[in-house]
Amino acid sequence: MTSDPSSLTQTVLPLAFGKIFQKLMQSLQLFFVLLRKEFVIEFRQRYAISGIVLYVFSMVFVVYIASIKVQPQVWNILFWLIILFASINAVVKSFVQESGSRQLYYYQLINPTVLILSKIVYNTVLLLVLSILSYGAYSLVAGNPVKDLQLFGLVILLASVGFGIAFTFIASIAAKANNSATLMAILSFPVILPILLTLVRLSAIALRLIQDTAYKHDIVNLLAIDVILLTLTFLLFPFIWKD
Amino acid sequence: MWWKTLSAFLLVYAIIAGMLIPLKPGIAYVSPQSAKSGQQISLQFHGYNTYYTAAPAENIRIWLQYDATQAVMAHDVTLLSDTTVSATFDLPSSLPRTTPSVMLNAIIDHPVDGVSLLPSAIEVRADTSATATTTWTAHPVDQLHIVKDVSFPYRNVIYETIRNTYYHVPMWFSLLIMFLASVVYSVRYLRSQNPADDRRAVAFTEVGLLFGIMGLITGMMWAHFAWGAAWSNDIKQLMTAVALLIYLAYFILRTSFDEPEKGARLAAVYNIFAFSSLIPLLYIVPRMFASLHPGATGSPAFGSQDLDNTMRLVFYPAILGFILLGTWIAQLRYRHLTIQDKVLGID
Repeated sequence: MTSDPSSLTQTVLPLAFGKIFQKLMQSLQLFFVLLRKEFVIEFRQRYAISGIVLYVFSMVFVVYIASIKVQPQVWNILFWLIILFASINAVVKSFVQESGSRQLYYYQLINPTVLILSKIVYNTVLLLVLSILSYGAYSLVAGNPVKDLQLFGLVILLASVGFGIAFTFIASIAAKANNSATLMAILSFPVILPILLTLVRLSAIALRLIQDTAYKHDIVNLLAIDVILLTLTFLLFPFIWKD
Repeated sequence: MWWKTLSAFLLVYAIIAGMLIPLKPGIAYVSPQSAKSGQQISLQFHGYNTYYTAAPAENIRIWLQYDATQAVMAHDVTLLSDTTVSATFDLPSSLPRTTPSVMLNAIIDHPVDGVSLLPSAIEVRADTSATATTTWTAHPVDQLHIVKDVSFPYRNVIYETIRNTYYHVPMWFSLLIMFLASVVYSVRYLRSQNPADDRRAVAFTEVGLLFGIMGLITGMMWAHFAWGAAWSNDIKQLMTAVALLIYLAYFILRTSFDEPEKGARLAAVYNIFAFSSLIPLLYIVPRMFASLHPGATGSPAFGSQDLDNTMRLVFYPAILGFILLGTWIAQLRYRHLTIQDKVLGID
Protein backbone atom coordinates (compact mmCIF):
# COMPACT_ATOMS: atom_id res chain seq x y z
CA MET A 1 0.00 0.00 0.00
CA THR A 2 1.41 3.43 -0.94
CA SER A 3 0.61 6.42 1.20
CA ASP A 4 2.06 9.88 1.68
CA PRO A 5 3.70 9.96 5.13
CA SER A 6 3.56 13.77 5.31
CA SER A 7 -0.20 13.89 5.14
CA LEU A 8 -1.67 14.64 8.57
CA THR A 9 -5.06 13.07 7.95
CA GLN A 10 -3.55 9.81 6.87
CA THR A 11 -1.29 9.25 9.84
CA VAL A 12 -2.83 10.89 12.92
CA LEU A 13 -6.45 9.87 12.47
CA PRO A 14 -5.84 6.14 12.00
CA LEU A 15 -3.51 6.37 15.01
CA ALA A 16 -6.25 7.90 17.20
CA PHE A 17 -8.81 5.40 16.00
CA GLY A 18 -6.29 2.66 16.46
CA LYS A 19 -5.83 3.67 20.10
CA ILE A 20 -9.59 3.69 20.78
CA PHE A 21 -9.94 0.42 18.95
CA GLN A 22 -7.08 -1.07 20.95
CA LYS A 23 -8.68 0.07 24.21
CA LEU A 24 -12.02 -1.33 23.14
CA MET A 25 -10.43 -4.64 22.27
CA GLN A 26 -8.69 -4.69 25.65
CA SER A 27 -12.01 -4.05 27.42
CA LEU A 28 -13.66 -6.73 25.36
CA GLN A 29 -10.88 -9.18 26.18
CA LEU A 30 -11.19 -8.29 29.86
CA PHE A 31 -14.95 -8.70 29.64
CA PHE A 32 -14.60 -12.24 28.32
CA VAL A 33 -12.01 -13.09 30.93
CA LEU A 34 -14.35 -11.89 33.68
CA LEU A 35 -17.33 -13.64 32.14
CA ARG A 36 -15.34 -16.85 31.94
CA LYS A 37 -14.32 -16.39 35.57
CA GLU A 38 -17.99 -16.11 36.61
CA PHE A 39 -18.83 -19.35 34.83
CA VAL A 40 -15.78 -21.12 36.23
CA ILE A 41 -16.63 -20.03 39.80
CA GLU A 42 -20.19 -21.19 39.26
CA PHE A 43 -19.06 -24.50 37.90
CA ARG A 44 -16.58 -25.14 40.71
CA GLN A 45 -18.97 -24.14 43.50
CA ARG A 46 -21.75 -26.25 42.14
CA TYR A 47 -23.71 -25.96 45.37
CA ALA A 48 -24.96 -22.49 44.41
CA ILE A 49 -26.57 -23.38 41.10
CA SER A 50 -27.79 -26.77 42.32
CA GLY A 51 -29.28 -25.06 45.38
CA ILE A 52 -31.25 -22.71 43.16
CA VAL A 53 -32.39 -25.50 40.86
CA LEU A 54 -33.49 -27.53 43.87
CA TYR A 55 -35.28 -24.47 45.20
CA VAL A 56 -37.19 -24.08 41.94
CA PHE A 57 -38.10 -27.75 41.88
CA SER A 58 -39.36 -27.69 45.46
CA MET A 59 -41.48 -24.61 44.70
CA VAL A 60 -42.92 -26.33 41.65
CA PHE A 61 -43.54 -29.44 43.72
CA VAL A 62 -45.38 -27.40 46.37
CA VAL A 63 -47.63 -26.06 43.63
CA TYR A 64 -48.20 -29.61 42.44
CA ILE A 65 -49.11 -30.88 45.92
CA ALA A 66 -51.26 -27.88 46.81
CA SER A 67 -53.41 -28.04 43.68
CA ILE A 68 -53.35 -30.76 41.11
CA LYS A 69 -55.31 -28.84 38.49
CA VAL A 70 -54.02 -25.30 38.01
CA GLN A 71 -56.17 -22.80 36.13
CA PRO A 72 -54.28 -20.85 33.41
CA GLN A 73 -54.67 -17.55 35.29
CA VAL A 74 -53.21 -19.02 38.46
CA TRP A 75 -50.58 -20.85 36.40
CA ASN A 76 -49.42 -17.53 34.97
CA ILE A 77 -49.13 -15.75 38.31
CA LEU A 78 -47.52 -18.68 40.12
CA PHE A 79 -44.99 -19.12 37.33
CA TRP A 80 -43.83 -15.53 37.59
CA LEU A 81 -43.69 -15.69 41.38
CA ILE A 82 -41.47 -18.77 41.18
CA ILE A 83 -39.23 -17.03 38.62
CA LEU A 84 -39.11 -13.86 40.71
CA PHE A 85 -38.00 -15.49 43.94
CA ALA A 86 -35.63 -17.89 42.20
CA SER A 87 -34.05 -14.90 40.42
CA ILE A 88 -33.59 -12.91 43.63
CA ASN A 89 -31.94 -15.90 45.28
CA ALA A 90 -29.77 -16.61 42.25
CA VAL A 91 -28.47 -13.07 41.86
CA VAL A 92 -28.03 -12.06 45.50
CA LYS A 93 -24.88 -14.15 45.82
CA SER A 94 -23.12 -12.59 42.81
CA PHE A 95 -21.35 -9.96 44.93
CA VAL A 96 -21.27 -11.73 48.27
CA GLN A 97 -19.55 -14.92 47.14
CA GLU A 98 -16.22 -13.25 46.49
CA SER A 99 -14.24 -12.07 49.53
CA GLY A 100 -13.54 -8.44 50.36
CA SER A 101 -9.83 -8.77 49.65
CA ARG A 102 -10.49 -10.15 46.20
CA GLN A 103 -12.83 -7.22 45.53
CA LEU A 104 -9.95 -4.91 46.48
CA TYR A 105 -7.76 -6.76 44.00
CA TYR A 106 -10.31 -6.21 41.23
CA TYR A 107 -10.61 -2.59 42.25
CA GLN A 108 -6.94 -2.02 41.47
CA LEU A 109 -7.01 -3.81 38.14
CA ILE A 110 -10.33 -3.47 36.40
CA ASN A 111 -12.58 -0.85 34.90
CA PRO A 112 -15.85 -1.04 36.92
CA THR A 113 -18.04 -0.79 33.82
CA VAL A 114 -16.52 -3.95 32.37
CA LEU A 115 -16.93 -5.75 35.70
CA ILE A 116 -20.64 -4.90 36.10
CA LEU A 117 -21.28 -5.70 32.44
CA SER A 118 -19.75 -9.14 32.83
CA LYS A 119 -21.85 -9.75 35.97
CA ILE A 120 -25.02 -8.60 34.20
CA VAL A 121 -24.40 -10.80 31.17
CA TYR A 122 -23.55 -13.76 33.38
CA ASN A 123 -26.65 -13.28 35.55
CA THR A 124 -28.86 -12.86 32.48
CA VAL A 125 -27.62 -16.15 31.07
CA LEU A 126 -28.03 -17.80 34.48
CA LEU A 127 -31.60 -16.51 34.82
CA LEU A 128 -32.43 -17.57 31.27
CA VAL A 129 -31.27 -21.12 31.97
CA LEU A 130 -33.10 -21.08 35.29
CA SER A 131 -36.33 -19.80 33.71
CA ILE A 132 -36.27 -22.41 30.97
CA LEU A 133 -35.62 -25.14 33.55
CA SER A 134 -38.47 -23.84 35.73
CA TYR A 135 -40.79 -23.67 32.73
CA GLY A 136 -39.97 -27.27 31.87
CA ALA A 137 -40.45 -28.55 35.41
CA TYR A 138 -43.52 -26.44 35.99
CA SER A 139 -45.29 -27.50 32.79
CA LEU A 140 -44.45 -31.10 33.64
CA VAL A 141 -46.35 -31.03 36.95
CA ALA A 142 -48.89 -28.23 36.43
CA GLY A 143 -49.68 -28.59 32.74
CA ASN A 144 -48.67 -26.32 29.88
CA PRO A 145 -51.35 -23.77 28.94
CA VAL A 146 -48.99 -21.73 26.70
CA LYS A 147 -50.62 -21.16 23.31
CA ASP A 148 -48.09 -18.82 21.70
CA LEU A 149 -44.73 -20.43 22.46
CA GLN A 150 -42.79 -17.91 20.38
CA LEU A 151 -44.13 -14.96 22.36
CA PHE A 152 -43.71 -16.82 25.64
CA GLY A 153 -40.07 -17.53 24.80
CA LEU A 154 -39.56 -13.86 24.03
CA VAL A 155 -41.17 -12.92 27.36
CA ILE A 156 -38.83 -15.27 29.22
CA LEU A 157 -35.85 -13.74 27.42
CA LEU A 158 -37.03 -10.21 28.24
CA ALA A 159 -37.62 -11.25 31.85
CA SER A 160 -34.08 -12.62 32.16
CA VAL A 161 -32.59 -9.42 30.75
CA GLY A 162 -34.73 -7.13 32.92
CA PHE A 163 -34.26 -9.13 36.12
CA GLY A 164 -30.59 -9.62 35.31
CA ILE A 165 -29.92 -5.89 35.06
CA ALA A 166 -32.08 -4.76 37.98
CA PHE A 167 -31.12 -7.50 40.45
CA THR A 168 -27.40 -7.29 39.66
CA PHE A 169 -27.42 -3.60 40.40
CA ILE A 170 -29.47 -3.95 43.59
CA ALA A 171 -27.27 -6.86 44.71
CA SER A 172 -24.19 -4.66 44.33
CA ILE A 173 -25.78 -2.14 46.75
CA ALA A 174 -27.12 -4.74 49.14
CA ALA A 175 -23.79 -6.60 49.30
CA LYS A 176 -22.24 -3.55 50.98
CA ALA A 177 -24.75 -3.59 53.85
CA ASN A 178 -24.85 -5.73 56.97
CA ASN A 179 -28.23 -7.35 56.27
CA SER A 180 -27.88 -7.95 52.56
CA ALA A 181 -30.55 -10.65 52.12
CA THR A 182 -33.30 -8.52 53.70
CA LEU A 183 -32.17 -5.39 51.88
CA MET A 184 -32.14 -7.23 48.56
CA ALA A 185 -35.85 -8.02 48.88
CA ILE A 186 -36.79 -4.57 50.19
CA LEU A 187 -34.84 -2.65 47.57
CA SER A 188 -35.61 -4.75 44.53
CA PHE A 189 -39.33 -5.40 44.96
CA PRO A 190 -40.59 -1.87 44.20
CA VAL A 191 -38.02 -1.34 41.44
CA ILE A 192 -38.91 -4.59 39.69
CA LEU A 193 -42.68 -4.08 39.88
CA PRO A 194 -43.20 -2.23 36.55
CA ILE A 195 -41.16 -4.93 34.78
CA LEU A 196 -43.02 -7.73 36.54
CA LEU A 197 -46.49 -6.32 35.79
CA THR A 198 -45.62 -5.91 32.12
CA LEU A 199 -44.23 -9.46 32.01
CA VAL A 200 -47.34 -10.97 33.61
CA ARG A 201 -49.46 -9.10 31.11
CA LEU A 202 -47.38 -10.21 28.12
CA SER A 203 -47.36 -13.81 29.23
CA ALA A 204 -51.13 -13.66 29.76
CA ILE A 205 -51.30 -12.68 26.08
CA ALA A 206 -49.10 -15.67 25.22
CA LEU A 207 -51.51 -17.86 27.21
CA ARG A 208 -54.42 -16.27 25.29
CA LEU A 209 -55.98 -15.16 28.59
CA ILE A 210 -56.40 -11.66 27.24
CA GLN A 211 -56.65 -10.48 23.66
CA ASP A 212 -54.37 -7.62 22.76
CA THR A 213 -52.86 -7.11 19.35
CA ALA A 214 -50.95 -4.01 20.49
CA TYR A 215 -48.66 -5.94 22.82
CA LYS A 216 -45.63 -4.67 20.89
CA HIS A 217 -46.08 -1.44 22.90
CA ASP A 218 -45.50 -3.41 26.08
CA ILE A 219 -42.36 -4.98 24.64
CA VAL A 220 -41.07 -1.54 23.66
CA ASN A 221 -41.87 -0.27 27.19
CA LEU A 222 -39.98 -3.19 28.67
CA LEU A 223 -36.97 -2.58 26.44
CA ALA A 224 -37.07 1.12 27.32
CA ILE A 225 -37.03 0.28 31.04
CA ASP A 226 -34.10 -2.09 30.42
CA VAL A 227 -32.15 0.61 28.58
CA ILE A 228 -32.81 3.12 31.38
CA LEU A 229 -31.74 0.65 34.07
CA LEU A 230 -28.62 -0.35 32.12
CA THR A 231 -27.59 3.27 31.59
CA LEU A 232 -28.10 4.03 35.28
CA THR A 233 -26.12 0.95 36.25
CA PHE A 234 -23.15 2.06 34.13
CA LEU A 235 -23.34 5.58 35.51
CA LEU A 236 -23.81 4.65 39.16
CA PHE A 237 -21.81 1.46 39.67
CA PRO A 238 -18.43 3.27 39.88
CA PHE A 239 -19.79 5.05 42.97
CA ILE A 240 -20.92 1.82 44.59
CA TRP A 241 -17.95 -0.45 44.30
CA LYS A 242 -15.19 1.63 45.84
CA ASP A 243 -14.94 1.46 49.59
CA MET B 1 -37.39 35.53 52.41
CA TRP B 2 -40.00 36.68 49.92
CA TRP B 3 -40.98 33.19 48.72
CA LYS B 4 -41.94 32.07 52.21
CA THR B 5 -44.35 35.00 52.50
CA LEU B 6 -45.63 34.16 49.03
CA SER B 7 -46.14 30.53 50.02
CA ALA B 8 -48.12 31.46 53.14
CA PHE B 9 -50.16 33.99 51.19
CA LEU B 10 -50.95 31.54 48.38
CA LEU B 11 -51.99 28.78 50.77
CA VAL B 12 -54.22 31.08 52.82
CA TYR B 13 -55.76 32.28 49.55
CA ALA B 14 -56.20 28.68 48.31
CA ILE B 15 -57.88 27.62 51.55
CA ILE B 16 -60.20 30.65 51.78
CA ALA B 17 -61.11 30.77 48.09
CA GLY B 18 -61.27 27.00 47.74
CA MET B 19 -63.57 26.62 50.73
CA LEU B 20 -65.80 29.71 50.40
CA ILE B 21 -66.53 30.11 46.68
CA PRO B 22 -69.96 28.51 46.13
CA LEU B 23 -70.86 25.84 43.63
CA LYS B 24 -72.90 26.74 40.55
CA PRO B 25 -76.67 26.06 40.81
CA GLY B 26 -77.45 22.48 39.88
CA ILE B 27 -80.25 19.93 39.80
CA ALA B 28 -79.94 17.37 42.59
CA TYR B 29 -82.69 15.02 41.43
CA VAL B 30 -86.01 14.83 39.61
CA SER B 31 -89.09 13.01 40.91
CA PRO B 32 -90.66 10.78 39.72
CA GLN B 33 -87.72 9.17 37.91
CA SER B 34 -89.60 7.18 35.28
CA ALA B 35 -92.42 7.80 32.81
CA LYS B 36 -94.13 6.31 29.75
CA SER B 37 -94.11 7.77 26.28
CA GLY B 38 -97.25 9.67 25.26
CA GLN B 39 -97.99 10.49 28.89
CA GLN B 40 -98.67 13.93 30.33
CA ILE B 41 -96.51 14.03 33.42
CA SER B 42 -95.82 16.55 36.14
CA LEU B 43 -92.25 16.50 37.44
CA GLN B 44 -90.66 18.10 40.47
CA PHE B 45 -87.10 19.41 40.10
CA HIS B 46 -84.99 19.69 43.23
CA GLY B 47 -82.21 22.21 42.91
CA TYR B 48 -78.94 22.70 44.77
CA ASN B 49 -77.61 26.23 45.44
CA THR B 50 -80.49 27.55 43.34
CA TYR B 51 -82.60 30.69 43.71
CA TYR B 52 -85.59 29.82 41.55
CA THR B 53 -87.94 32.53 42.94
CA ALA B 54 -85.56 35.26 41.76
CA ALA B 55 -87.26 35.19 38.36
CA PRO B 56 -90.96 34.89 37.40
CA ALA B 57 -92.10 31.37 36.51
CA GLU B 58 -92.88 32.22 32.87
CA ASN B 59 -89.22 33.13 32.24
CA ILE B 60 -87.95 29.75 33.44
CA ARG B 61 -87.65 27.18 30.68
CA ILE B 62 -87.25 23.47 31.39
CA TRP B 63 -86.47 20.66 28.95
CA LEU B 64 -86.21 16.92 28.99
CA GLN B 65 -83.51 16.42 26.41
CA TYR B 66 -82.37 13.39 24.40
CA ASP B 67 -79.74 14.99 22.15
CA ALA B 68 -78.90 18.32 20.53
CA THR B 69 -82.06 18.43 18.39
CA GLN B 70 -84.55 16.23 20.25
CA ALA B 71 -86.12 17.56 23.44
CA VAL B 72 -89.51 18.32 25.00
CA MET B 73 -90.08 21.66 26.68
CA ALA B 74 -92.25 22.04 29.77
CA HIS B 75 -95.42 24.07 30.06
CA ASP B 76 -97.01 25.15 33.33
CA VAL B 77 -93.86 25.89 35.32
CA THR B 78 -94.77 26.46 38.98
CA LEU B 79 -92.36 27.80 41.57
CA LEU B 80 -92.68 25.92 44.87
CA SER B 81 -89.64 27.31 46.67
CA ASP B 82 -86.09 28.47 46.00
CA THR B 83 -84.97 24.89 45.52
CA THR B 84 -88.05 23.20 44.05
CA VAL B 85 -89.95 23.82 40.89
CA SER B 86 -92.60 21.71 39.20
CA ALA B 87 -93.38 21.49 35.50
CA THR B 88 -95.66 19.53 33.20
CA PHE B 89 -94.47 17.74 30.06
CA ASP B 90 -96.42 16.23 27.16
CA LEU B 91 -94.21 13.32 26.15
CA PRO B 92 -94.41 12.27 22.47
CA SER B 93 -95.87 8.84 21.79
CA SER B 94 -92.72 7.36 20.23
CA LEU B 95 -89.19 7.43 21.59
CA PRO B 96 -86.35 9.22 19.73
CA ARG B 97 -84.68 5.84 19.36
CA THR B 98 -86.28 2.43 18.83
CA THR B 99 -85.35 0.91 22.18
CA PRO B 100 -87.59 -0.20 25.06
CA SER B 101 -86.57 2.90 27.02
CA VAL B 102 -84.36 6.00 26.86
CA MET B 103 -82.68 8.13 29.52
CA LEU B 104 -83.37 11.85 29.24
CA ASN B 105 -81.33 14.74 30.63
CA ALA B 106 -83.03 17.52 32.56
CA ILE B 107 -82.09 21.09 31.64
CA ILE B 108 -83.32 24.15 33.50
CA ASP B 109 -82.65 27.58 32.00
CA HIS B 110 -83.11 30.32 34.59
CA PRO B 111 -82.50 34.02 33.79
CA VAL B 112 -80.67 34.63 37.09
CA ASP B 113 -79.18 31.25 38.03
CA GLY B 114 -78.18 30.40 34.49
CA VAL B 115 -78.42 26.95 32.97
CA SER B 116 -78.14 23.74 34.96
CA LEU B 117 -78.17 20.14 33.76
CA LEU B 118 -78.75 16.72 35.28
CA PRO B 119 -77.59 13.85 33.03
CA SER B 120 -79.89 10.78 32.84
CA ALA B 121 -82.49 12.39 35.07
CA ILE B 122 -85.50 10.33 34.03
CA GLU B 123 -86.17 7.07 32.22
CA VAL B 124 -88.95 7.01 29.63
CA ARG B 125 -90.33 3.62 28.56
CA ALA B 126 -92.02 3.05 25.21
CA ASP B 127 -95.79 2.68 25.29
CA THR B 128 -97.08 1.40 21.92
CA SER B 129 -100.71 2.32 22.61
CA ALA B 130 -99.91 5.99 23.19
CA THR B 131 -101.54 8.60 20.95
CA ALA B 132 -99.94 11.94 21.81
CA THR B 133 -99.47 14.53 19.07
CA THR B 134 -96.31 16.30 20.31
CA THR B 135 -92.91 15.74 18.68
CA TRP B 136 -89.32 15.63 19.94
CA THR B 137 -88.07 18.33 17.61
CA ALA B 138 -90.66 21.08 18.26
CA HIS B 139 -88.70 22.96 20.95
CA PRO B 140 -84.95 22.34 20.72
CA VAL B 141 -82.75 23.62 23.53
CA ASP B 142 -81.52 27.08 22.57
CA GLN B 143 -80.93 30.66 23.74
CA LEU B 144 -79.58 29.57 27.11
CA HIS B 145 -78.57 32.06 29.76
CA ILE B 146 -74.85 31.53 30.35
CA VAL B 147 -74.11 33.29 33.64
CA LYS B 148 -70.50 34.29 34.17
CA ASP B 149 -69.75 34.49 37.88
CA VAL B 150 -67.18 33.28 40.40
CA SER B 151 -68.30 29.75 41.21
CA PHE B 152 -67.12 26.17 40.93
CA PRO B 153 -68.85 23.71 38.61
CA TYR B 154 -71.65 21.58 40.03
CA ARG B 155 -70.79 17.96 39.26
CA ASN B 156 -72.90 14.95 40.10
CA VAL B 157 -71.19 12.26 42.17
CA ILE B 158 -68.57 14.60 43.65
CA TYR B 159 -70.69 17.70 44.46
CA GLU B 160 -68.97 19.86 47.11
CA THR B 161 -65.90 17.62 47.25
CA ILE B 162 -64.76 19.21 44.00
CA ARG B 163 -62.88 21.55 46.36
CA ASN B 164 -60.52 18.70 47.21
CA THR B 165 -58.97 19.29 43.77
CA TYR B 166 -57.00 22.17 45.30
CA TYR B 167 -55.57 20.07 48.12
CA HIS B 168 -55.31 16.51 46.75
CA VAL B 169 -53.85 17.15 43.30
CA PRO B 170 -51.13 19.67 44.34
CA MET B 171 -49.75 17.00 46.71
CA TRP B 172 -48.61 14.96 43.69
CA PHE B 173 -47.10 17.95 41.93
CA SER B 174 -45.21 18.84 45.11
CA LEU B 175 -44.15 15.22 45.66
CA LEU B 176 -42.60 15.04 42.21
CA ILE B 177 -40.79 18.37 42.69
CA MET B 178 -39.48 17.31 46.13
CA PHE B 179 -38.20 13.96 44.85
CA LEU B 180 -36.67 15.69 41.83
CA ALA B 181 -34.86 18.15 44.11
CA SER B 182 -33.70 15.24 46.24
CA VAL B 183 -32.27 13.46 43.17
CA VAL B 184 -30.48 16.64 42.09
CA TYR B 185 -28.82 16.89 45.52
CA SER B 186 -27.97 13.18 45.47
CA VAL B 187 -26.18 13.66 42.14
CA ARG B 188 -24.38 16.67 43.58
CA TYR B 189 -23.40 14.64 46.63
CA LEU B 190 -21.86 11.90 44.49
CA ARG B 191 -19.81 14.52 42.67
CA SER B 192 -18.81 16.66 45.65
CA GLN B 193 -18.84 14.25 48.63
CA ASN B 194 -20.06 17.26 50.61
CA PRO B 195 -22.23 16.08 53.56
CA ALA B 196 -24.40 19.21 53.24
CA ASP B 197 -25.69 17.98 49.85
CA ASP B 198 -26.58 14.62 51.39
CA ARG B 199 -28.52 16.32 54.19
CA ARG B 200 -30.43 18.39 51.62
CA ALA B 201 -31.28 15.22 49.68
CA VAL B 202 -32.54 13.56 52.87
CA ALA B 203 -34.62 16.61 53.83
CA PHE B 204 -36.28 16.74 50.40
CA THR B 205 -36.96 13.00 50.41
CA GLU B 206 -38.62 13.22 53.82
CA VAL B 207 -40.83 16.09 52.73
CA GLY B 208 -41.67 14.26 49.49
CA LEU B 209 -42.71 11.24 51.54
CA LEU B 210 -44.83 13.51 53.73
CA PHE B 211 -46.58 14.88 50.64
CA GLY B 212 -47.12 11.34 49.39
CA ILE B 213 -48.79 10.31 52.65
CA MET B 214 -50.92 13.48 52.70
CA GLY B 215 -51.89 12.90 49.06
CA LEU B 216 -52.87 9.34 49.88
CA ILE B 217 -54.96 10.45 52.87
CA THR B 218 -56.76 13.26 51.02
CA GLY B 219 -57.31 10.86 48.12
CA MET B 220 -58.76 8.21 50.43
CA MET B 221 -61.14 10.74 52.00
CA TRP B 222 -62.24 11.77 48.53
CA ALA B 223 -62.58 8.15 47.39
CA HIS B 224 -64.66 7.37 50.47
CA PHE B 225 -67.16 9.98 49.32
CA ALA B 226 -67.08 9.60 45.55
CA TRP B 227 -66.29 5.91 45.00
CA GLY B 228 -67.90 4.58 48.17
CA ALA B 229 -64.74 3.10 49.67
CA ALA B 230 -61.51 4.62 50.90
CA TRP B 231 -59.38 1.93 49.24
CA SER B 232 -60.61 0.28 46.06
CA ASN B 233 -57.32 -1.08 44.64
CA ASP B 234 -57.33 1.56 41.95
CA ILE B 235 -54.11 1.24 39.94
CA LYS B 236 -52.97 4.73 40.95
CA GLN B 237 -53.55 3.98 44.62
CA LEU B 238 -51.47 0.82 44.28
CA MET B 239 -48.67 2.48 42.36
CA THR B 240 -48.54 5.31 44.90
CA ALA B 241 -48.29 2.82 47.72
CA VAL B 242 -45.40 1.13 45.89
CA ALA B 243 -43.72 4.49 45.27
CA LEU B 244 -43.89 5.22 48.99
CA LEU B 245 -42.43 1.76 49.72
CA ILE B 246 -39.45 2.63 47.50
CA TYR B 247 -38.69 5.68 49.60
CA LEU B 248 -39.23 3.86 52.88
CA ALA B 249 -36.64 1.37 51.60
CA TYR B 250 -34.36 4.36 51.00
CA PHE B 251 -34.47 5.23 54.70
CA ILE B 252 -33.88 1.62 55.73
CA LEU B 253 -30.88 1.47 53.39
CA ARG B 254 -29.41 4.63 54.93
CA THR B 255 -29.44 3.20 58.40
CA SER B 256 -28.04 -0.25 57.56
CA PHE B 257 -24.39 0.81 57.38
CA ASP B 258 -21.89 1.30 60.17
CA GLU B 259 -20.17 4.24 58.52
CA PRO B 260 -22.45 7.20 57.81
CA GLU B 261 -20.39 8.20 54.76
CA LYS B 262 -20.91 4.81 53.11
CA GLY B 263 -24.63 4.89 53.90
CA ALA B 264 -24.94 8.37 52.43
CA ARG B 265 -23.14 7.37 49.24
CA LEU B 266 -25.14 4.19 48.61
CA ALA B 267 -28.40 5.90 49.57
CA ALA B 268 -27.63 8.63 47.02
CA VAL B 269 -27.07 5.97 44.37
CA TYR B 270 -30.30 4.21 45.30
CA ASN B 271 -32.19 7.50 45.31
CA ILE B 272 -31.21 8.18 41.68
CA PHE B 273 -32.10 4.60 40.74
CA ALA B 274 -35.43 4.74 42.61
CA PHE B 275 -36.48 8.02 41.05
CA SER B 276 -35.86 6.61 37.59
CA SER B 277 -38.07 3.63 38.35
CA LEU B 278 -40.70 5.95 39.81
CA ILE B 279 -41.31 7.42 36.34
CA PRO B 280 -42.50 4.14 34.74
CA LEU B 281 -44.43 3.39 37.93
CA LEU B 282 -46.41 6.63 37.79
CA TYR B 283 -46.57 7.23 34.03
CA ILE B 284 -46.34 3.92 32.16
CA VAL B 285 -47.99 1.28 34.36
CA PRO B 286 -51.25 3.24 35.05
CA ARG B 287 -51.82 3.43 31.29
CA MET B 288 -52.06 -0.34 31.08
CA PHE B 289 -54.95 -0.67 33.51
CA ALA B 290 -58.39 0.85 33.93
CA SER B 291 -58.67 3.42 36.70
CA LEU B 292 -61.42 5.24 38.56
CA HIS B 293 -59.47 8.48 38.39
CA PRO B 294 -60.69 11.15 35.96
CA GLY B 295 -59.04 11.08 32.56
CA ALA B 296 -57.93 7.59 33.48
CA THR B 297 -57.54 5.53 30.33
CA GLY B 298 -54.32 6.46 28.61
CA SER B 299 -53.47 9.51 30.66
CA PRO B 300 -51.74 9.88 34.01
CA ALA B 301 -53.33 13.23 34.89
CA PHE B 302 -56.80 14.59 34.47
CA GLY B 303 -58.01 16.22 31.28
CA SER B 304 -58.52 19.90 30.54
CA GLN B 305 -62.30 19.53 30.76
CA ASP B 306 -62.03 18.79 34.49
CA LEU B 307 -61.11 22.37 35.32
CA ASP B 308 -62.94 25.59 34.52
CA ASN B 309 -61.51 29.08 34.68
CA THR B 310 -62.60 29.77 38.27
CA MET B 311 -61.01 26.51 39.38
CA ARG B 312 -57.79 27.40 37.59
CA LEU B 313 -57.67 30.64 39.59
CA VAL B 314 -57.43 28.58 42.79
CA PHE B 315 -55.73 25.44 41.48
CA TYR B 316 -52.51 26.90 40.07
CA PRO B 317 -51.80 29.17 43.08
CA ALA B 318 -52.42 26.16 45.35
CA ILE B 319 -49.83 24.08 43.45
CA LEU B 320 -47.23 26.84 43.70
CA GLY B 321 -48.09 27.44 47.36
CA PHE B 322 -47.65 23.77 48.31
CA ILE B 323 -44.36 23.45 46.38
CA LEU B 324 -42.97 26.52 48.16
CA LEU B 325 -44.24 25.23 51.51
CA GLY B 326 -42.48 21.92 50.87
CA THR B 327 -39.25 23.72 50.06
CA TRP B 328 -39.65 25.71 53.26
CA ILE B 329 -40.16 22.60 55.41
CA ALA B 330 -37.20 20.91 53.68
CA GLN B 331 -35.01 23.91 54.46
CA LEU B 332 -35.95 23.77 58.15
CA ARG B 333 -35.35 20.01 58.22
CA TYR B 334 -31.96 20.53 56.55
CA ARG B 335 -30.95 22.99 59.26
CA HIS B 336 -32.12 20.56 61.91
CA LEU B 337 -30.03 17.76 60.37
CA THR B 338 -27.01 20.06 60.15
CA ILE B 339 -27.24 20.90 63.86
CA GLN B 340 -27.69 17.20 64.69
CA ASP B 341 -24.55 16.31 62.75
CA LYS B 342 -22.60 19.14 64.39
CA VAL B 343 -23.64 17.97 67.86
CA LEU B 344 -22.65 14.39 67.02
CA GLY B 345 -19.37 15.67 65.61
CA ILE B 346 -19.88 13.99 62.21
CA ASP B 347 -19.50 17.19 60.25
